[in-house]
Amino acid sequence: MKPRVAFFEFTSCEGCQLDSLNIEAEILDLLKAVDIVAFREVKSGSSEDYDIAFVEGSITRESEIARLKEIRERAKILVALGACACLGGVNCLKNSLPMEEALKIVYGRDARYYDTIPARPLHDVVRVDHYVRGCPINTDELLKVIKALLLNKRPEIPNYAVCVECKMANNVCVYERGMTCLGPITRAGCGAICITSGRYCVGCRGLVYEANLESQKDILKKYGLTAEQISEKLNIYDSCAGVKR
Amino acid sequence: MAFNLVPGNEEGVKPSFIIRRKDLDSVVDGLVKDMRVFGVKSRHGKFVYDRINNSGELRLDFDITVMPPSRILLPAKEVLLQFELGTSKQPQPVLESEPFAIIGVHPYDLHAIELIDEAFMATNPDPHYIARRHNAFIIGVDNLNPSLRSFALDMGTHRAEKGFDLLLTDLGDEDYLITVGTEKGMALLKQYNHIRRASAGEVARRNQLLKEAEARYKLHLAISRELIPQLLEDNYENPFWRTRSEACLSCGSCVMVCPTCFCYDVLDEVQLNLKEGARIRQWDGCVLVDFARVASGENFRHDKASRFRHRINRKGRYVQERYGKLGCVGCGRCSIACLAEIASPLEAFNALAEAEKKKPLTGIKLEIRDFEGLHIPQMAQLIRVQQLTPNEKLFDFRFIDGHQLGHQPGQFVEVHVMGIGEAPISVASSPSRGEVFQLGVRSLGNVTTAMHNLKEGAIVGIRGPFGKGFPIPSIEGKDVLMMAGGIGLFPMRSLVQYILDHRRLFGRVILLYGCRSAEARILKDELADWARDPNLELLETIDKSCEGWNGHVGVITTLLPEVKMDITNAVAVVVGPPVLYKVALNELKNMGFKDEQIIVSLERRMKCGVGKCGHCQIEGIYVCQEGPVFTLSQLQKVKEAL
Repeated sequence: MKPRVAFFEFTSCEGCQLDSLNIEAEILDLLKAVDIVAFREVKSGSSEDYDIAFVEGSITRESEIARLKEIRERAKILVALGACACLGGVNCLKNSLPMEEALKIVYGRDARYYDTIPARPLHDVVRVDHYVRGCPINTDELLKVIKALLLNKRPEIPNYAVCVECKMANNVCVYERGMTCLGPITRAGCGAICITSGRYCVGCRGLVYEANLESQKDILKKYGLTAEQISEKLNIYDSCAGVKR
Repeated sequence: MAFNLVPGNEEGVKPSFIIRRKDLDSVVDGLVKDMRVFGVKSRHGKFVYDRINNSGELRLDFDITVMPPSRILLPAKEVLLQFELGTSKQPQPVLESEPFAIIGVHPYDLHAIELIDEAFMATNPDPHYIARRHNAFIIGVDNLNPSLRSFALDMGTHRAEKGFDLLLTDLGDEDYLITVGTEKGMALLKQYNHIRRASAGEVARRNQLLKEAEARYKLHLAISRELIPQLLEDNYENPFWRTRSEACLSCGSCVMVCPTCFCYDVLDEVQLNLKEGARIRQWDGCVLVDFARVASGENFRHDKASRFRHRINRKGRYVQERYGKLGCVGCGRCSIACLAEIASPLEAFNALAEAEKKKPLTGIKLEIRDFEGLHIPQMAQLIRVQQLTPNEKLFDFRFIDGHQLGHQPGQFVEVHVMGIGEAPISVASSPSRGEVFQLGVRSLGNVTTAMHNLKEGAIVGIRGPFGKGFPIPSIEGKDVLMMAGGIGLFPMRSLVQYILDHRRLFGRVILLYGCRSAEARILKDELADWARDPNLELLETIDKSCEGWNGHVGVITTLLPEVKMDITNAVAVVVGPPVLYKVALNELKNMGFKDEQIIVSLERRMKCGVGKCGHCQIEGIYVCQEGPVFTLSQLQKVKEAL
């Protein structure tokens, strides 16, 4: 029996789901290996009987809490898909404001038609079994996780910093190119794609295990960033970790 | 032929020629036509090795490259072998055999490659490295423009007289001196005209230029490099390691850019069809958090300070003890790459420097095994499984081709469950019990969990046996006190069975077995047999009393007072979890056992089994080679062992 797989989204741009199918070379093999029973972006109709749920997005409304709990109950395995689901992501930037103010900034006079709560990652609401990180996700890593689940094996996700993959990619260090970078404290798995493409790491995959934040801050300071710039930089993807809800 | 190419190698002088830059360019362009060529290119104002497509891209005036050329010989990721899941088909090695050239290798990097040659070609030769190494055509270049961070001069690696096929020296004025290092280099030169023999004056000019370059090295060791190993040994407990490593990001940059680092990880990657897969080798490094973590969760270098100390000791001491050369060539790449500015071995050596002396160093000699199949498992069939406890099973395996494992009690094998990965498992049975060998396994990590899901008839790959087992000859004729804790009884059982099968060769045989609970006891039937066996004195205990247990209660060391033995002609063998060693060894010493009478078996993350990947290192020791069984006297100076 092929495992039944469902995709769901909460507050997000839905880009990670879109990227999940951006795998031309392997999509037919994937469809041979699993049954996709729910996936709003690609198919009509959906089943409530599934084994593995991939869930994109962060939780930003009361109604989403109940829906996520229901998914958790139905799924044998729940996988958080992308930065919003894994970390809270950019949605958490609003958490530093009172919710009424955030609503007003976004919706103006129509704010009264909406409700919102501080944004949070899935694991603040339900148990999450596995994480596919990034903004957007890395499709190779998604396939790696799917294959591990098919083999009944814990996925071997890198537990080290982006610097390792950046060196594997033969890159000149961002800091030697007059920019700053969060690679040293960010979990790898992306193949250092941003740096290889000429940019720098913004930390979308979240902090690496035992990240040395103090040392990273000292380095950013040494390279000319103010305390405010440093906290802005660190907060883009990881603000949720520091904000009280 | 425009010139006479008879080398005339009298007095050990290497043949030398002069080539104009434009003619050198045609040599490079010729190589590009024939093979893949990696050369030094400029990128973002720095220098990197990359594929070059014409001589115009090549820079020979670089100070330092971001990554070292040794990483071309050991690429970031390579396929070791391909396998099919769920079949008995022998996995097939994948060997690269295309010739390629590296142009622009500085002397310190030639020294580094020489060290990696030693690690990958001498003991347990690695066929993948050898294939690539033999296909590499290396053109070195003298470094007249050293990096400001380099201290190659003080490490004695600022010049190289071997390790290259050809070596270039920029004599200025568009002239390059070519020193020929090998027949292969000579053969290449023979294809080109416009090359003339160098005069004695031109050869002397190289020496003069190198001499002048020496003044451009700005960083210097405070002590002579010969004293570094002793310096590090003496300063093992220095608080420097903790304070200096506070800022460490554990980002791995220092080890990734190091020309002498070669540690690696091995992973299984499978196709989505779940039918085919490959074993992948990829870079790993000792400063990364998980490097020394084993499946049970124990991390043998769990903090930044111990990882930092290990790395610096590896550069300045452990590698020297093992391969006879320092593990640092003074290139300075790590200090450029380290944003926290703590990685430079020179700064560490200098910070620790005190006047110290002496101690000749000896390399550890190991036997060479047949290497063709270094990474290739032999296929074995699971013929029986016994569930011992909810978490532990005993597996019987037999090789499909009928050959015997040929192990010693105490040795281990690497079990490859195709598609999941490999794990080191001690052999739980004695070689005296025939062609079937048994492995006792607790379900813990990916591989052991997959093993627990195997049905009888399933096929796995086995590599090994590996390591040193129990030193049987030095136990023979003696009384043997064995102490096993928890699943430490699995490896101990191989020795117990061996002794029972050769009972006359041994004196009194006492086995102490301790477990946390009655339920956690493994091998209950066999324990019952041993309890009745007059050839063996068995004492058992569990940590806390529980219903249905009438035996002794308390930790295993509480059994020792009940052991009445004369220890003058005795050995003690201890196998268990790390906590057991912490208590038991002291008690044994209190009883009068000397270090050479106490034998232990250590658990570490034995990933490759062949002394290369680095995960199982305790200081300079590779547990998979020198261990897992040691006498305490062997470990006397190894502070991180217990």
